[in-house]
Amino acid sequence: MIEIKNLVKHYGDKQALKGISFTVKDNEVLGFLGPNGAGKSTTMNIITGYLSSTSGMVKINGHDILEQPDLAKKDIGYLPEQPPLYLDMTVEEYLTFMCELKGVAKKDRKEHIETIAKMVGIEAVTGRLIGNLSKGYKQRVGIAQALVGDPPILILDEPTVGLDPNQIIGIRKLIKDLSKNHSVIVSSHILSEIQEIADRVVIIHKGKIAAIDTVKDLSQRLTGSTKLLLSFKGPAKDAVNRLTMIQGITDVTIRNSGNLSEVEITTAKVAGDEIRAAIFFMMAKSGWPILEFRSLDPTLEEVFLSITAG
Amino acid sequence: MYAIFKREFLSYFRTPVGYVAMAIFTFISGFIFYTLFSRGIVSISEEIISLRSLFVVIVPIITMGMFAEDRKRGTDVLYFTTPGDLFSVVCGKFFAAIALCLVMFINVFIHMIVVSLCGGRVGIGAWGSVIVFFFLAALFISIGLLASVLTDNQIISAIVSFLLILVTQLISAIGAYFGTAASTLMSYMGMNVSSRNNAQKSITNAISWFDPFAKTSDFGDGIFSVSALVFCISFAIFFLYLTFRILEKKRWSQK
Repeated sequence: MIEIKNLVKHYGDKQALKGISFTVKDNEVLGFLGPNGAGKSTTMNIITGYLSSTSGMVKINGHDILEQPDLAKKDIGYLPEQPPLYLDMTVEEYLTFMCELKGVAKKDRKEHIETIAKMVGIEAVTGRLIGNLSKGYKQRVGIAQALVGDPPILILDEPTVGLDPNQIIGIRKLIKDLSKNHSVIVSSHILSEIQEIADRVVIIHKGKIAAIDTVKDLSQRLTGSTKLLLSFKGPAKDAVNRLTMIQGITDVTIRNSGNLSEVEITTAKVAGDEIRAAIFFMMAKSGWPILEFRSLDPTLEEVFLSITAG
Repeated sequence: MYAIFKREFLSYFRTPVGYVAMAIFTFISGFIFYTLFSRGIVSISEEIISLRSLFVVIVPIITMGMFAEDRKRGTDVLYFTTPGDLFSVVCGKFFAAIALCLVMFINVFIHMIVVSLCGGRVGIGAWGSVIVFFFLAALFISIGLLASVLTDNQIISAIVSFLLILVTQLISAIGAYFGTAASTLMSYMGMNVSSRNNAQKSITNAISWFDPFAKTSDFGDGIFSVSALVFCISFAIFFLYLTFRILEKKRWSQK
């Protein structure tokens, strides 16, 4: 468990963090979002002990990072924005070095490294020089390094940067698997990624927490209504007239008209079965075949934009 | 500490750094040995004393990357975010550089063997010079580490350590210069000759006291002075501690 209270960080005159507080429970994935320069990496650097905060407190499983640094650091695996790799070492030498740094017993090292290499998919390159690896492999070696010593808390700063789509899916799956018995903080620029893997999201903006909630609650809190997308074959204008007559629909806007019409329907409350059924029957009666009909929950992108723009 | 020591020591041989330093040292020591030998003088301590001037070139090469490169590559994160204190990181790097000096020094040991095989004598003065060589190496390497922690640019780090080590090698000359300058200044102020001479002498002595070469010059003659060794070690520890403090401070005040 990570407890963060009132973190403040000054860089000279500039206040990078203005009182950040949140907690991460055991076995929870916390997504960390924010525009560039919002203070994401600074917060992560302070949690891991790389930077010191101007004021505030960080507790890792009950141990203060400043007062009991060794106990706190033992529980953290950290992948910074720039993976801390020695390019002149082979992957195996590097992971062995990390085992030594983190105090993994000598007899367990070989097995531990093999397990981790398998987990992140780098078994094939363990004998190669890190400097000769592709960016994707380097990133994975960085993740492997964070897993050395089996720390219960993982802090990953943009772990999927530079990976190809297959690898991204692989890493997301890995994070999901790890979250069964790890607390994870993940920052990312790819919002759909956070939406997919995080239990809760912290949106940080200009050094402050702008929002902290589950992805679902964030979306609903923001809109209070639900949007539906309907595309069909038929005249768009007539459809709008008929749709607005259905009870519970507050607004219909045309997205596309012509041979293939597309309209966006806004309902007052969360669209229940009745409204959807009424729409279906109305369309059927009018003889306009429905091609697509789905709800338009606001994406995290929209939530993010509306929070950080304000 | 051992993990850092091992990594740093082996990294000398993964990159050209270790080989370059060894090549320079081997070439120069071989050349000096050859010159002495061809003249029929078999004095190992003379060779080692000449080799001490090489520190000004060798030490910047072997220490410039130690912290500067870590900072540039982002690998310094590891020292801050894994258990273990920073002073042991500094010590690990320090001993790695000392170990490289030991490896370089193998060439001189070979010269010593050659000398004894050719009927020469490797006396106590030679062994004294060997001991001093490593104590001076410790002192200069600690200065090199300090230069390396000050910047994240290897070239600047090398230049800074080069200048600092150069100053320590010229310290007697600098002392004499300041002594003369003070005496000249006093003559303008109209002070008498004896007080001027006293002042010149004290200033020269005070500054020259810091000269590590003068301090350890007796060893070549077989006179072991513990105070000289204590001098080297205390300053080495002082610079290592300063390195550690600067390293620690970096996390408090970063751009």
